[in-house]
Amino acid sequence: MRALFLALALGCWADGAQAQSMRPFGTFRQLHGETRLSARVEYAAGALHLAPGRPTDLYRMNVSYDEDRFVPVSGFDAARAEVVLGVRPAGEGGLRVVSRQQLRQVASVAFSPRVDLTLDVALGAVDADLELGGLRLSSLSLETGASRAVVRFSQPNRTRCRTAEFSAGAADLSVLGLGNARCDRIAFEGGVGKVTLDFGGVWSSSSRVGVRMAVGELTLRIPRRVGVSITLDRFLATFDPAGLVRRGGGFASANYDRAERHLDIEVATAVGGVRVEWSE
Amino acid sequence: MRAFSVTLGLLALVTAVPAAAHAETQEPRPKPQAISPAASGGPTVELDDLARPTLLERELQAVLGRAGNAPRVTVPGGRARLGDFTVGSSENISGHLLVVRGDANIYGRLLGNLVTVEGDVVVHPGALVSGDILTLGGDVRDMGGEIGGEVRTLRSTSVFASAARAAEPPPSALETVFRRGMGVLGVFLTLGALGFGLVMFGRPNLEVVSDTVSHSFGRAFVTGLLGQILLLPTFGMLIVGLILSVAGILLLPFAVVVYALLVIVGVLGGFLAVAHAMGETYTRRRMALGAMIGSPNSYRYLLVGLGAMGALWLAWAVFGWVPVAGNMIRAAAFLVTWLLGTAGFGAALLSRAGIRENFAGRLIPPEALTDEYLWATPQYGVPAARRPGTRTPTRGL
Repeated sequence: MRALFLALALGCWADGAQAQSMRPFGTFRQLHGETRLSARVEYAAGALHLAPGRPTDLYRMNVSYDEDRFVPVSGFDAARAEVVLGVRPAGEGGLRVVSRQQLRQVASVAFSPRVDLTLDVALGAVDADLELGGLRLSSLSLETGASRAVVRFSQPNRTRCRTAEFSAGAADLSVLGLGNARCDRIAFEGGVGKVTLDFGGVWSSSSRVGVRMAVGELTLRIPRRVGVSITLDRFLATFDPAGLVRRGGGFASANYDRAERHLDIEVATAVGGVRVEWSE
Repeated sequence: MRAFSVTLGLLALVTAVPAAAHAETQEPRPKPQAISPAASGGPTVELDDLARPTLLERELQAVLGRAGNAPRVTVPGGRARLGDFTVGSSENISGHLLVVRGDANIYGRLLGNLVTVEGDVVVHPGALVSGDILTLGGDVRDMGGEIGGEVRTLRSTSVFASAARAAEPPPSALETVFRRGMGVLGVFLTLGALGFGLVMFGRPNLEVVSDTVSHSFGRAFVTGLLGQILLLPTFGMLIVGLILSVAGILLLPFAVVVYALLVIVGVLGGFLAVAHAMGETYTRRRMALGAMIGSPNSYRYLLVGLGAMGALWLAWAVFGWVPVAGNMIRAAAFLVTWLLGTAGFGAALLSRAGIRENFAGRLIPPEALTDEYLWATPQYGVPAARRPGTRTPTRGL
């Protein structure tokens, strides 16, 4: 009797496993002397991993996608040195509910560390891990919906970066090692969520940071060796200075005038809290 | 130990049967040959743009899926091959290349795009493919050659799947009966498991809803009908209300989930309560006729009720293949299930998920609870006690 029940359960499981329609798709392009690339990654749902790839590949993407509801995107415009990668919803418009099946989508995207990269990432309901350290990133734009994203700069950016712009809807976003990003200007705009901006890394120049957040918790993790000033515009948000001293209309670290590199942060937030943590 | 070995055997069977079936469907590679161009107005496949592989796959499916072993297709500005194909190291081919059911080995130069269906592409050292490469149901192995364009691989393909499906004979009546019967059994077991859980953890509520169905069936049905009609408007009002309250926007996801859960619990719980009511009525009638019932409890009621409901669907499973009559049985089974489900949902609403007993026929009228008979005939020699009050205690009124 028990064996019969087990067989029935196995049969149901096997049937369910067969009903899944995840499909593997891969794309890449060899590097043929290109020096720059403008890349847009569009990823609606699932898990995404982005990292530097092989120097001989201009880009590479491997994705396992839900073929019933999504189509893979891979298009390169040689004249403009632009590529679009990712998965897009198969239909147009309408109410779309993200299912567990779609969240099982997995994509891995890699770019050559030899080209100057302008990266534009648009995420939907995604669990993303973006390792951007080691690339030649000349500008970055990250737009997330209801995502959990970790952006890392584990190694210094190989070129100067003009801007890094982050826009989050209802997201849990961590940007780690911004000191390695070598970006002149960093901007964050968020709706609801929890955001951690870690400014660790090798600081080779000063940087300006603008943060606009509606509702949520913002954590600024700042290295002690950098001179920091924070200007706050808040409504119902709490702020713990954590060792910063009043200076003009804002706060600054005691070493601000002596520090070789400066980090000037402007924060505008409505409801929530702003927390400062120090790192070595 | 014996059960374990039986289980292992079943597991092996479950995993081996699909694998064997898959192995049987693997066809041998066709003999290498050119695919002739189609006649004027015949099927054509453009290989200029490979940026949308799924679209091209559908086009190829339409062209090749029905063609069988002798496909004819025109590739504008190129050629098509069936079976394995090799571009030699001294060869120089201009134009696009389509290779169907075979590997493409490139040693020389191909000046165009390359597409394979159910085959790999191998680009050997010194080789050149100037355009894009797309494999549908294959892989690309870059052994050191030069690929000028983009490489795309869809490692599984359905190009020939529709043809394979079309070639499959339709299931026999016996197979259909077996599959449907197993489906009905599966639903019965699932509902049974849910019902057992409900009896175990929420018997009082289930019994109240069940009694509400028994004693106020018409009222429960009308309530269920109204409930179904008002489900969506209520949901819309909830959403709009939360959005308008601004602060409630944060509660929106929770409200949606909770609402959906309540509806599922209401419908499913109500349906199981109807099964319980049916089983209880049947069992009590049998007992009234003198039948010996071992354990007349809620578990039995539920199984009997579900069995009665499943009988109609079982009839459809057995006779569903009969023309006209099969459809009529299915319609009848659907109608009865909907009727009972609606009544159950209504009963769940009326009884507030089994909390309120007002319609369950459990409230005894006040006159039935009176203790008048105690006072009516005082015993001789004993003075009548004073009536303690005029109000008679009742439950829940």
